[in-house]
Order: sequence, then C-alpha cells, then structure tokens
Amino acid sequence: MRQLLIDIFSFGDRPRFEKIGFLIFILIVFIFPWIVTSAYGRAVMIKFLLFALFGLGWNLIGGYGGQVDLGQAKNVGFGAYATALMIVWWKIPFWVTIPVGVFFAVLESFAVAYPMFRLKGHYFAIATLCVALVWKELFIFWDWTGGARGVEIPIRTGVDFAYMQFNSAIYYHYFILFLFLTQLLFMNWFRKSKMGYWVQAVRDNEEAAASLGINVTNTKVKAYCIAAALGAVGGSFMAVYYLYIDPDAVMPLDLSILIAMTVMVGGAGSIWGPIIGAAILIPLDMYLGAWLGAQKRLGIDFMIYAMIMMVIAAKEPRGIWGIIERVRKKRSR
Amino acid sequence: MELTVQLLVYGILMGLVFALIALGLSLIFGVMNIVNFAHGEFMMVGMYIAYLLSTYLPLDPLLSLPFAAGAGYLLGIVSYRLLIHHILRGPMVAQLFGTFGLMLFLRYLAMYIFTPDVRSIKEGILVGKTLSMGWINVDASKVFSAGVCLLAFAVIYWMIYRTKLGRALRATSIDSEAAKYMGIDTKGMNALAWGIGGATVALAGALLAHFYYVTPTVGMLFTLIAFATVALGGFGSIVGAFIAGIVIGLIMVISGQFVSELKFSFIYIVYFLVVVFRPRGLFGW
Repeated sequence: MRQLLIDIFSFGDRPRFEKIGFLIFILIVFIFPWIVTSAYGRAVMIKFLLFALFGLGWNLIGGYGGQVDLGQAKNVGFGAYATALMIVWWKIPFWVTIPVGVFFAVLESFAVAYPMFRLKGHYFAIATLCVALVWKELFIFWDWTGGARGVEIPIRTGVDFAYMQFNSAIYYHYFILFLFLTQLLFMNWFRKSKMGYWVQAVRDNEEAAASLGINVTNTKVKAYCIAAALGAVGGSFMAVYYLYIDPDAVMPLDLSILIAMTVMVGGAGSIWGPIIGAAILIPLDMYLGAWLGAQKRLGIDFMIYAMIMMVIAAKEPRGIWGIIERVRKKRSR
Repeated sequence: MELTVQLLVYGILMGLVFALIALGLSLIFGVMNIVNFAHGEFMMVGMYIAYLLSTYLPLDPLLSLPFAAGAGYLLGIVSYRLLIHHILRGPMVAQLFGTFGLMLFLRYLAMYIFTPDVRSIKEGILVGKTLSMGWINVDASKVFSAGVCLLAFAVIYWMIYRTKLGRALRATSIDSEAAKYMGIDTKGMNALAWGIGGATVALAGALLAHFYYVTPTVGMLFTLIAFATVALGGFGSIVGAFIAGIVIGLIMVISGQFVSELKFSFIYIVYFLVVVFRPRGLFGW
C-alpha cells in the first residue's frame, strides 16, 4: 500500500529541473483563476487543462504504446453522451454518470480492439479513424441520442456539486484541475508499473517483447481500453461544462486530430509531453480563433497547426520534449 | 427491375471515378510504402480548378481537365520535394503526421481563400444534361467522367506495364535499393509516383466537380473512400484499384438508396472488414 502511494505521488526518478518545473506549473495553475479574472482567460485555462487531460490519455496508447489512434474523439463522445443523456433522462448525478461513460467507452474499445490490433501502422490508424466516423454517423442517425440536434442539459442555478454545474468559472477550473491531476498521477503510476513497461517494450520491439513472454495483443488491447477510459472522463466534463453537446462538438475527426497533435507536438511517450503540447496549441488556437473571428477569415489557425505538424514530422518526430532532451544531453556531456 | 438496373449503372459509373481517385494512392503506396492522407485534398484542388476556370473564365468545365491534371502533377511533385522526401526515413508516426499536416494545410488554405461556402458548377456542355437509353436515365456528365476514367486508367496501365519508365517505376516499388544499384533514379521515381498520383486524382476531381458540390472539406471523405478502395483492391495493385473502385461505387449507391444517412459508414465498415480479414485485399501481393 505504501509502495503504491509512493509510485503514484513520487516523481523521484525524474531529474531535478523537471521536478522544479512541475512544481512551478502546479503553483501557476492553482492560483491562476485568482490572478486572471477575465472570463476569457479563465476559459482558455480550462480548455488547456481539458486538452492536457485528453493528451495524457492519448499518450498512453499513442506515446507509450506507439499505436497511432486517430479515433480518440469517439471515447470523448461516449463520455459526453453518457453524462448528458443520463442527466436529461433520469436526473442522475454527475458522479454516477462518469463510470457509466467509462464503461461504455471501454466496452466498445474492447469489442473492436481484437480485430483492430491485427493491423499495424497505417492500416491501424485508418481503421481507428473509420470506427470513430461510423460512431459519429450513428449518433447523428439515431433519434434517441438527439440526432444532429444534440442534447441540451437543463441549466441549474447556483452551485451544485451533485450535477457539477456552477455559476462561476472558478469552480470549473478546480474541477477540471482535479480530474487532470488524477489522470496525471495515474499516468505517473502507469509509466512505472509492470504494465507500463510492457506497453513500452511492445512499442520498441514487438518480437523481442513477445520472446520475453509478453502477450503483445493483450498488452495493446489493455492500453487501448485504458486510454479510452481516460478520454471518456474528459468527455463527461465537456458535457457539464458546455451544457450542450452534439456529434460535431464531441465526436469530430478534428478533435481526434487535435488530441493526437497536442501529444505529438509536446513529445509522445513522455509524461510532460501532453502538457507542453496543450500549453502551446490551446492558447494559440483560442487567441487565433478570437482574432480571426473578428477578421471573418477561417482557416489560418489550422494552417499554422498544419505547418507545425509538418515541420515536427520532418525535423523532430519526438516533439518539443525531444528537443529539450537533446539540449540537456549536449550540456551534460 | 428498373430501379435495380438504374442503381447498377450509377454504381458502376461512380465506381469508375472512385477507381481513378484510388489509383494514385495505390501507386504511391506501392512505390514507397507511404499512405498519403492529403490525397482527397489533391482532388479538392482539382475540383476548385474546374470550378474557377468555368466560373470566372469563359471556359467549359471540360476544358479545365488538362489544367487540373497539370496542377495535380505539380502539386504532387512539390509535396514530394518539400515534405515527403524529408519524412520518408522517419518513423511511421512521423510519416502519418506529415501527410496529415499536408492535408490540413491544403484544406484550410482552401477554406481561407474560398470560405466554407458550398459551390457547384452551373454551366457547361454536360452539366445537368441527362442521357436516356430506353427507360434508363443517366447524367451525361457521369457517363463522360466514367469514360475519361477508363481512358486514364488505360494510359496509366500502358505507361506502367509497357514503357521503360514504367519498368523503372515497378523496379523501384519491388526493391528500391536494388533498383538504385541498377542505375535507376529512385528519388526521381518517387517524385514521379507522386506526380502521377496527384495528376490522376486532380483529374478525377475536375470530373467530379461536374456533378458533385465543391467545398474545402470535401477531401477527407474521398480520402477515406480511396483508402477503402485501395485496401479492398490490395495496396499497390492497379488492376485491384480498378475493380475495387467499381465494387465500392456499387456498395455506396445501393446502400445510399436504402439508408442514405449511413452510406459512408458502409464504406468504412468495408475497409475495416477487408483489412482485418483479408489484409492483402482482392488482388494484393
């Protein structure tokens, strides 16, 4: 038990500058809503934490696992729809809906994972994309999900901790910060766990991993399902934060791409990568979006994304974290 | 009965266009084992060229075909030289994100220039005309497009299997190292594959623009259809792409008749089933 707590909370194996950086980061996000009082600044911060959370989940399968999953949005959608529909239909408290969303995301992932992991590389990536798009079309097609109109959660006044609806962004800030930190600590435990090492071994060399007695397919399937669960939690948050969801908001391809991109830009397969990636892309996205919205010109934000993506793919596939590591190695030599 | 024949005819005509779209993807994959996510965006460029030339110049959309093909060729070569060449040696993830980046770039460049408005070609010799053969009515533009696709397929087939250039291309696709030692300019062959890929798909786009709406986001759907087609026909197989294109066209038209909201889902499911249960496709090696 004691060992488990140490594994969860200890960053002791990381170099000192990472620990200091992490402490500063935590300090900033904790006091952030007291320094920045504008609604817009707070919204940017909440979106940043949300995408850092999505990135952490994707990093498990895409970074540590090395499986390029371009369908994470479907899990976000499962979480969001489970929460929204249960609140609208039966007035079930938010905290009960989270495990339900996670359950459906994991169930679906488990069902498609075995055939899917017969595929590798590009074939796998395209298959994840196809599965996610089929789900999106189904959610538009079905009536019970609200179809293309989506679902609206009735607004509650005041501060409601059962349904997690608040009249101030500060509550949402600490709410998403709590979810984010839980997932961060989970990932901190995961990367040092037996399972975490198996996943990385499978990524680095499947044959070698198999010859050491690791069940390659099982490991991939488990990683895929856990990543799905982590994504669904973020989806549930989206439902109560935006109070309105439709398939275009919570299940689009763009969301899958953005999630994967935050991790790729920050550095796939490192614990800080998703946070760095989200810290760059989300403010960029929000400020460009605001500025361009005034200009009535769409698309420049995504063109800049695309440029970043191409440069990173061509020059530094390990992302910004890869650059930091390289600089540090040069210094220590 | 009439409906059945009508659907079959439509399916085959659409299928020939899908086949031409998939041809370039299959060729590029065969030569250098890389999947081009921007394929549908190359097609979108062809569509916009047809739209622009026919709307702002007194040209018939038919005359835009060579321009579209030429632009597609250039786009393919430039993409190869500027981007693909640099990501070929990198890990698979980097390749995937590189072409994904290219896709987003082209898509949102179009969004920036043309706004998200849905456009369509309104005037042209073939636009909106129907041919009646007995009790079957088909769009003249679809028949013509299918004919051009057949012709383009024949030309590419001849080029790859009957000319010296094609032999060099095939040698590169079988073993790039060995081909290099035999004095083949493999980088040139890679660029050529991208050029041909871009030209054929942009040509298909210009044809498609005759009877399909043009938007900046039209590409993704056709990229996915092309993936399904290529997977079904076998990655790298030209004949496979041809036959699979027709099969996919039939699936889409027939399923669209019954559950039109889900017609694309059927194509994604076909892709999924094929790659999982018969990864070589129908004609792959």
